[in-house]
Amino acid sequence: MKNIKVVKSTKSCSILPKKAKRPLLRKTTRNILEDKLRFQMEEMVTQNSKLMQGIDREKVAEEQIHIRTKAMEAASDGIFIIDAKDNNFNIVYANPSFQMITGYAKKEIIGHNYFMYAGGNSDLRISGEIRQTLSQGKSFHGELLKFKKNGEKYWCLLRIAPIRDTKGVVTHYVGIKSDITLMKQRVLEIEEQREELLHVTRVGKLAEFVSSLAHEISQPLTAILSYAQAAQRMLKDREPQLQEILQFIVNDDQRAAEVIRRLRYLLKKSKPAFVSLDINTVIRDTVSLIIPQVTAKDKVIKFELDIGLPLIQGDRIQLQQVVLNLISNSLEAMESKKDSHELIIRTSRKDTDTILVQVRDSGCGIPEGNMKKLFSHFFTSKPDGLGMGLSISRSIIEAHGGHLEAENNPDRGATFYFILPIQMKNSNEY
Amino acid sequence: MPSLIYIVDDDESVCRALKILLSSYDFEVKTFNSAQKFFDSVANDDPGCLLLDIHMPGLDGWEVQKKILNSGSKRPVIFISAEKQDNAADRALKVGAVGFLQKPVNGQTLVDLINDAKN
Repeated sequence: MKNIKVVKSTKSCSILPKKAKRPLLRKTTRNILEDKLRFQMEEMVTQNSKLMQGIDREKVAEEQIHIRTKAMEAASDGIFIIDAKDNNFNIVYANPSFQMITGYAKKEIIGHNYFMYAGGNSDLRISGEIRQTLSQGKSFHGELLKFKKNGEKYWCLLRIAPIRDTKGVVTHYVGIKSDITLMKQRVLEIEEQREELLHVTRVGKLAEFVSSLAHEISQPLTAILSYAQAAQRMLKDREPQLQEILQFIVNDDQRAAEVIRRLRYLLKKSKPAFVSLDINTVIRDTVSLIIPQVTAKDKVIKFELDIGLPLIQGDRIQLQQVVLNLISNSLEAMESKKDSHELIIRTSRKDTDTILVQVRDSGCGIPEGNMKKLFSHFFTSKPDGLGMGLSISRSIIEAHGGHLEAENNPDRGATFYFILPIQMKNSNEY
Repeated sequence: MPSLIYIVDDDESVCRALKILLSSYDFEVKTFNSAQKFFDSVANDDPGCLLLDIHMPGLDGWEVQKKILNSGSKRPVIFISAEKQDNAADRALKVGAVGFLQKPVNGQTLVDLINDAKN
């Protein structure tokens, strides 16, 4: 901004009085001279007054510039101006908010190429997009993830527009950047809550779906079973081969009915019902529900179950949920690894009061940074995950008086394990 | 004379299959695919055990059982349902039914229950 210094004289000043008293000259000559002088004087007055008006205008303009500059300095958005000359994108102005948002000092910003200074766009693709937009004389508008000088991430709403001179030539660009990190966080929180709700709804819908499916399938199963059993009676003591086939039909019908029964049991919403349970049976029952998925993914579940384990007190469905969740996670961890097939489920006696259940995979393992967050609500490393599984599993195990943990295996993959107390009355026997 | 069994189930296939099965046990079986049809053709004091589905359009199984009880009939009723209802078995006994069987129902189990009901 240029400073205009004008020394202003009083407005009403005149250089010569209009009618000066002088000795008489020859009238004509004098008159001519006087007229000339007067004319010149009047001209000067006019000019002077014009000059004064100009100075006034300039003063008003100066005040306006002052106000605008102050406004830019005071704005809470980051405002900056880039020189459009030579395609160097030199920053010629950056207000204090710009410095605050980016964390860089004025001297680290001014005179530097907007795209090259340390706080510039780390993403070259976006830089290129901005440059291209500006070179076409258009305005840029976008949300970017950026880094402050101290490395802190922030979300920035950036708008850059060209400034043109009277001939329409772009001389500068003016940019405004706003820190929208808090806004973004709020949006994400809302998104999370929506996802949670959707999930609960989905589970409800699934339970409903399974229930109606179970009903529809049970009807033909009833008919098939009855037909087969009627035929068995009709062929009594005859046609042993047909009898055998009929028995296979009966068996498979009952197997299908059992699958439905379990499925319905698993999806039923119920209060925890603590009963005496054999953890090995819980595990086998759960695996039988997921085995088609395991086979489809070309994986194998290997059991290393200690058959001599004492009973535990627990809710069968809830413990099945935990086991199912751990197996599903392990399968997903192994999915991308073509050379890992085996998932081991191991049960053992940990000490006199507790049993240990381990689910060990040979998948991608858990990144060290994720270890702590693993069991928190909504933490997920999967693109389509909801981050509910492990947190629900942990609270179930804790409600059973045990605890659920995870660790990476020394070779590869991870092991999730939970410890459960054995039935109290059994402890008297030892 | 063979014992009479009535089956009320909206699923035609279930009716036919159970009829064939129970006929092989020498029962005489009559099937109806709605409660209304049953009430229209069978009098309250006609002898015979009723195998009753629960989930049906029109009158459902519970309503049918209530109607039979209210009419003063002593007809034995066995509920057979594809639905998994909590405490359905308890509820069936509480409303005066002989028993509750979950579909698909095993032939021998059903016949044993029918024979119990007759005695």
